[in-house]
Amino acid sequence: MGRYLMYRILKGLLTLLVSVTITFFILRLMPADPVSILIDPKMGPEVQQAMMKRFGLDKPIWEQYIIFLKGLIKGDLGLSFKNQRPVMEVIMEKLPWTLLLLFIVNIMLLIIGVPIGVLAAIKRGQLIDKVINISVVIGISIFVPFLAFSFLYIFAYYLKLLPTGGAYTPPPGDGLAYYMDVAKHAILPSLTLLFANIASVVLYTRNSMIDILKEDYIRTAYAKGLKNNYIIQIHALKNAMIPTVTVIGLMIGSMVGGAVMTETIFSWPGIGRLIYDSVAAMDYPVLQGAFLILAISVILMNIITDLIIAWLDPRIKIGG
Amino acid sequence: MHEKKSFFQLLMRSRLTVVGLIGVLIIVLMGIFAPFIAEKPKGYGSEILLPPSTNHWFGTDNLGLDIFAEVVWGARTSLFVSLVAVLVAIVIGVPAGMISGYKKGVIGSIIDSLIDIFLTLPILPLMIVIAAVIGSSILNVAVIIGIFSWPSLARVTRNATLKISELQFIEAAKCLGIPTGNIIFKHILLNIMGPILVNITLIMATAVLSEAGLSFLGLGDPTTWSWGVILKKAWENGAVIDTPNPWWWWFWPSVFVTFYVISFNLLGTGINDILNPKPND
Repeated sequence: MGRYLMYRILKGLLTLLVSVTITFFILRLMPADPVSILIDPKMGPEVQQAMMKRFGLDKPIWEQYIIFLKGLIKGDLGLSFKNQRPVMEVIMEKLPWTLLLLFIVNIMLLIIGVPIGVLAAIKRGQLIDKVINISVVIGISIFVPFLAFSFLYIFAYYLKLLPTGGAYTPPPGDGLAYYMDVAKHAILPSLTLLFANIASVVLYTRNSMIDILKEDYIRTAYAKGLKNNYIIQIHALKNAMIPTVTVIGLMIGSMVGGAVMTETIFSWPGIGRLIYDSVAAMDYPVLQGAFLILAISVILMNIITDLIIAWLDPRIKIGG
Repeated sequence: MHEKKSFFQLLMRSRLTVVGLIGVLIIVLMGIFAPFIAEKPKGYGSEILLPPSTNHWFGTDNLGLDIFAEVVWGARTSLFVSLVAVLVAIVIGVPAGMISGYKKGVIGSIIDSLIDIFLTLPILPLMIVIAAVIGSSILNVAVIIGIFSWPSLARVTRNATLKISELQFIEAAKCLGIPTGNIIFKHILLNIMGPILVNITLIMATAVLSEAGLSFLGLGDPTTWSWGVILKKAWENGAVIDTPNPWWWWFWPSVFVTFYVISFNLLGTGINDILNPKPND
């Protein structure tokens, strides 16, 4: 377990380093680097020199890279072009909203996606399995804004049941009323992301369940006279969950991409909406910071999924 | 010749694959013959926000432009972007996958780790940052999408190469002293075309999703009609929740994005089923 965990964390750190390096080089790709925008041409040459020195621009590129890394470790992501606030501060205001959305969606994926997959496996080849299979093909092909627009049109415009956007009705209330309000605003964005991601969960649960139901120990369980539901829930499901959890882990990166579009459409005040607003304002430091923070979140969530897999699959613990 | 025919016949056996193939054909024809189907929409007209009718099959937008024409020209953009993206992905992904699968060793594991890393990263935000910084002409967007489509292709190529290079005829070729380059390109590449082809159809699909997403978020090429650009305009102008509601403005481009992706996915799954028949399924 210890060695396995070490390996995963090491890989996470490596992924982080790659993301940081890419971000650094994108910074250099920019038509004008952020510091030269801060430097006023009216400044005297000495002042300009001092500025260059202060931001480390007089040093060779690898030293700049080290400086960039050191700043990152201290949580320094630079200043937003738009309002001159520290990027870290802007992002940290938004991050909880995105994490809340992803948390709701992942819980729903497990609660709703897994049973559908199990059902398809048990009823394999029957009509319901075929219907589920076709829905899966449509599900993995769907364009997130299409879903979001359809939900908005039906539930917010036509039926007028749910709010069209935002995370709460301003001004925010207190206590239970506030939480209820947020929950109401979260319904459409979470439904959108749920529908956009559920197909893969169903597919993987179905396929791994089909494989597992062929195993000898399942036949033994039947031979012992155990009840069908008991076998499915206790013996088969836990093992069938391993590929499912793995695939959810792998999907988190693309789920974040879907979240950017979903948050934009529903004006959900998370990092996705922040990215959209920053594109319009050409606020590059915020864009880069947002990517880095999202990358870190994805890496952390991947490590968590790996821990869950290790817990589900004892062979990993022993094998190390 | 005989083999090709039987492959096509196999393809025709699955109804869903046929649906996919027809869908792909429709989009390709739409893209190629766009100028003959509808005039390129530009400027503005007097018939603003008209619902679908016999004159304007998909209605008109807030500038009085025909949405059907916009969608037809959007097909051309989608095909262009996904073809360029696929090309870029092949150029990077196939050699990377073959080297890491054939050479194993240090280079192999470095490439493999890189594939892993790129598969876990949130790619859409990364593409957004890069497109925002270097500018979002349609070619830039296509190349960026291609650059980030290589990992899945490399992974598929690598796995296929690993399988093939363990077979005896490769062993034999090595013993005969055939140069490595020859072994890789003649003996291995020809034998892993199947899985590569399947992955390419899937990249065609995801590339369009990425392009539509980027355009929708404001990183498309505003001078080119694409489905994402139409959607962005519709959404910015309140087409989804305004009263009275011009639903046709967001509905048709969304349907075509989905149609494109489903068609290529069905075709890819169909080819995959022929290459890897499942005895029990």
